[in-house]
Amino acid sequence: MISELYEFKKYLNKEGIFFCFSGPVSQELLVEIGAILKQKIKLEDAGNSTAIRVFSMVVEQAQNIIHYSAEKCPKPYPSKAGEEISIGIIAVGYENGHYFVLSGNMIEKEKVSRLQNKLTGLKKMNKAELKKHYKEQRKKGPDYGSKGAGLGFIDMAKKASQPLEFDFKKIDEKFSFFSSKTVI
Amino acid sequence: MDNLKLEATKYTPEIAFDCENHLLEIIGESYPENIAEFYAPVFEWLEAYLGQLGTQDVTVNMELIYFNSSSSKVLLDLFELLEDAVDDGKKITVNWIYEPEDEDTLEFGEEFQEDFESLTINLLEKSS
Repeated sequence: MISELYEFKKYLNKEGIFFCFSGPVSQELLVEIGAILKQKIKLEDAGNSTAIRVFSMVVEQAQNIIHYSAEKCPKPYPSKAGEEISIGIIAVGYENGHYFVLSGNMIEKEKVSRLQNKLTGLKKMNKAELKKHYKEQRKKGPDYGSKGAGLGFIDMAKKASQPLEFDFKKIDEKFSFFSSKTVI
Repeated sequence: MDNLKLEATKYTPEIAFDCENHLLEIIGESYPENIAEFYAPVFEWLEAYLGQLGTQDVTVNMELIYFNSSSSKVLLDLFELLEDAVDDGKKITVNWIYEPEDEDTLEFGEEFQEDFESLTINLLEKSS
């Protein structure tokens, strides 16, 4: 790996990725990643509202990993027995005049079809339909098994400049790897 | 009853609920990992406050720079509680305060306005 690390960096650069993290994602880490990204984007761009929009995508993606990743490791001290941290990948890049956020994590096989249907549905909606769906879903409250409000992907689709992209890769009999890309 | 005062953290807003001056403020960023845990005492206080409130004018200032999608649901629940109180004869005004050029927060404010009839939600651009 040591000899390939530079190749890995070159590959990220080629893809326009300027930030990449793979490993255990905690709320504290999210705060720090968010702070660095906001600072960087404010300096190079467009200003505050783009920075906050990129930040908001990173928060939703990271909290999806925190809540739903099927791959976990024990939480380091201080923690209660049995507490775990979720593992996932988050990357942020810039291409064709737009920032984008990539995110990936393992999910249980049983969750694939429901998530796939939900995201396929969102992909077909225009901005007005997304707004309506967002408001209906917010009023209705979360679906069974949701740890948030069930609004994360709708919020991202609403704020994105292009339809959400996503992919499911079967890993073994129990798990798939879920990846998504949102363009700001 | 006592005022409710929670200092802001990196991912939770400042809560400054003043029951003497009838000024309730939520200021900062909101994206806690465990949304219910943070907002439970806020709702508990609010319900007790609204229960004993007379006809005084109440001002609610919401000045959120950023909030995540699960906080958005909490805000809806909070406004529903306030609207019920207004329907019950209480005098409550919400000021939705946003930074200049922050279209997303403005849009959220507009969408909340559309969702509520008797609760007045003013959209105020923050003067820089």
